[in-house]
Amino acid sequence: MEYVSPEGLRLDGRRPMEMRQLRAEIGAVAKADGSAVFEMGNTKVIAAVYGPREVQNRSQQMNDQALVRCEYSMANFSTGDRRRKPKGDRRSTEISLVIRQSMEACILTHLMPRSQIDIFVQVLQADGGTRSACINAATLALADAGIPMRDLVTSCSAGYLNTTPLLDLNYVEDSAGGPDVTVGILSKLDNVTLLQMDAKLPMDTFENVMQLAIEGCKAVANYIREVLQENTKQLEYRRGV
Amino acid sequence: MSGTAPATYSPSPTMQNKKRAPIFTDVDWVRPDGRGFRQCRGAFLRTGAANAASGSAYAEFGNTKVIVSVFGPRESKKAMMYSDIGRLNCNVSYTTFSTPIRGQGSDNKEFSSMLHKALEGAIILDSFPKTTVDVFALVLESGGSDLPVVVSCASLALADAGIMMYDVVASVSVSCLGKNLVIDPITEEESYQDGSMMITCMPSRNEVTQLTVTGEWSTPKIHEAMELCLDACSKLGDIMRSCLKEAASASQE
Amino acid sequence: MVGLSVGEKHFIQGGIAQDLRSDGRKRLTYRHIQVETGVIPQADGSARVKMGATDVIGSVKAELGKPNPLQPDKGKVSLYVDCSPTAAPMFEGRGGEELSTELSATLQRCLLGGKNGAGAGIDLSSLSIVEGKVCWDLYIDCLVVSSDGNLLDALGAAIKAALSNTGIPKVQVAAAVSSDGQPEVDVSDEEFLQFDTSGVPVIVTLTKVGRHYIVDATSEEESQMSSAVSVSINREGRICGLTKRGGAGLDPSIVLDMISVAKHVSEQLINKLDSEIAAAEACEEESGHG
Repeated sequence: MEYVSPEGLRLDGRRPMEMRQLRAEIGAVAKADGSAVFEMGNTKVIAAVYGPREVQNRSQQMNDQALVRCEYSMANFSTGDRRRKPKGDRRSTEISLVIRQSMEACILTHLMPRSQIDIFVQVLQADGGTRSACINAATLALADAGIPMRDLVTSCSAGYLNTTPLLDLNYVEDSAGGPDVTVGILSKLDNVTLLQMDAKLPMDTFENVMQLAIEGCKAVANYIREVLQENTKQLEYRRGV
Repeated sequence: MSGTAPATYSPSPTMQNKKRAPIFTDVDWVRPDGRGFRQCRGAFLRTGAANAASGSAYAEFGNTKVIVSVFGPRESKKAMMYSDIGRLNCNVSYTTFSTPIRGQGSDNKEFSSMLHKALEGAIILDSFPKTTVDVFALVLESGGSDLPVVVSCASLALADAGIMMYDVVASVSVSCLGKNLVIDPITEEESYQDGSMMITCMPSRNEVTQLTVTGEWSTPKIHEAMELCLDACSKLGDIMRSCLKEAASASQE
Repeated sequence: MVGLSVGEKHFIQGGIAQDLRSDGRKRLTYRHIQVETGVIPQADGSARVKMGATDVIGSVKAELGKPNPLQPDKGKVSLYVDCSPTAAPMFEGRGGEELSTELSATLQRCLLGGKNGAGAGIDLSSLSIVEGKVCWDLYIDCLVVSSDGNLLDALGAAIKAALSNTGIPKVQVAAAVSSDGQPEVDVSDEEFLQFDTSGVPVIVTLTKVGRHYIVDATSEEESQMSSAVSVSINREGRICGLTKRGGAGLDPSIVLDMISVAKHVSEQLINKLDSEIAAAEACEEESGHG
């Protein structure tokens, strides 16, 4: 199948190095300590953060740092055909772990010993790149909750189809079976916190694809920073400072 | 809104209510088991059906046969948080041979929470803090009105176990078939019903602990059905009380 | 779980007794209802309903299926509610299951009528395509995104809004029946028929706090309740389902009084909801065309 037309356009009309439309909104869940909605094209996720609070399960308490927990769930209606079993399958367990590890890398856990931070991400619509969208939403939600972080973690994926590196794969491109590289970076420190790839790629191509994904992460980081600044301005305005 | 009125989706509006057993739509039909519309099935109640439990009861209403055993109060699981009132844990299950088609005793997950809600208002939970009472109900044979029978039987078992209660809990359901209200329906009637109402109540306190209604009802009909149910509940309550008295006097001898 | 001090509890109870609740509402006033339709593009119909901080999404998906042999002239509707852990940390893992099952069961009772589907708010016979052979399976999935009390009413409203947003594809049944007895069905992907929601009831939950009942309780107020009665009522003022929650017993006359109050409240709620749904649809249409 042809994923990039001779004119250099992808199935949804994007250029190979073009990202989908980003949209973010802070404070989607009123009861949570921090929350955010993050959209990448048709992929839409909600993240909610509760904490830092007392550790629920005493045996998990750590005396020198905070416990970070994460749960990823998909809504029944999030995919094209209706899902029957939304919770606790292996895929969501794995993604929960991935998100938790990337967020742990940026939260200053040593500042909040003996406490617990819960991150819940809920996929409303899945159209490829849910992993990245969840990490981006979680970053925003953590920032909204006022949890001290080293830097913003942002994530983006890139793939390699029809000998072209493609940025931000959608569901159709993702299920084409080609390599799919998901990268998460700490944008200012320029550190990679998450790197996942399936299928195989020659070393030099991999470098290109990964570089593309990193560029994507940086673009997301810029957008997230803008959203946060806008949000802070709003808060300032409301306080009448 | 768009300019033209949207068409309503109904490809075959003429085939409503065609496939219904004709007997129930007649004005003067007879119930399959020959009862009057306002006549309950014969009830057989007995406490002390299982020896291992702290209390147990067996109930038989027509073909519906239920056994309930109560364990506890016993120490709550360690993982549970401290609670200054007792906990009630209910579980309703069906035997595989309870229905004509094997293993079809379905919606019991919902029944467990319904049983819990029906009983919790009647039990004096303050009397056993930090502990749990387990109520396990097993439907041996499903013959209609299963849940009401389970609730009444469970309250007998609780009384047998010596758990403090404000009153016994009696439960009765009514089915609405056409224009008629039919009390204590059997499976066949339940499958053709237009609506149903189930009441669990404490007869001597005149309090409703649980009430569910399905189907479309007008207010006068609800009044009528409620009256019918409450009347039956109070009679059932008397029978349950005499059953307990009998058991108590037998053990004294 | 809501952690309230003794003083806060008294404040809430006292406010309800004086007909002035913590957020300034009267006992029988709803919070502002905000409806947004078409929020899930993949679904055949969807809606998001917000009542204060309570936020739920309802979606409808129609699939072709086989009717139940006992009711060959009717379609099937299944209804599931899922509580997202974003709404409360206690819904994590399997923690939300109990509440989800309870909400699903209550909604089924309120909207889908009895076992044989009689008295259902959703007209099941309108979902039949070929009697005994093909029908529509309607999957209604709800998600609780944020919860601040009165989930049942919000879910009921979301389902009503999602159904009125639902377009069911037009179906052509081929005259020739294929060899296996299954008629050939041609589903149009252009023409849709709007689902008739005039019979879909609304759910009114009356929460009893002290001697009074209130509608649209917040989770703080719900923590103070002795019992609650949820009544689903359709436009004709007929009761389509009823469930009681909460442990404390109620005098039968109080139950009947609550039903009549709920009936009174439902008239306003239906009108309010209808205008909100119409506004949301108009809004969606505008953005869709513009």
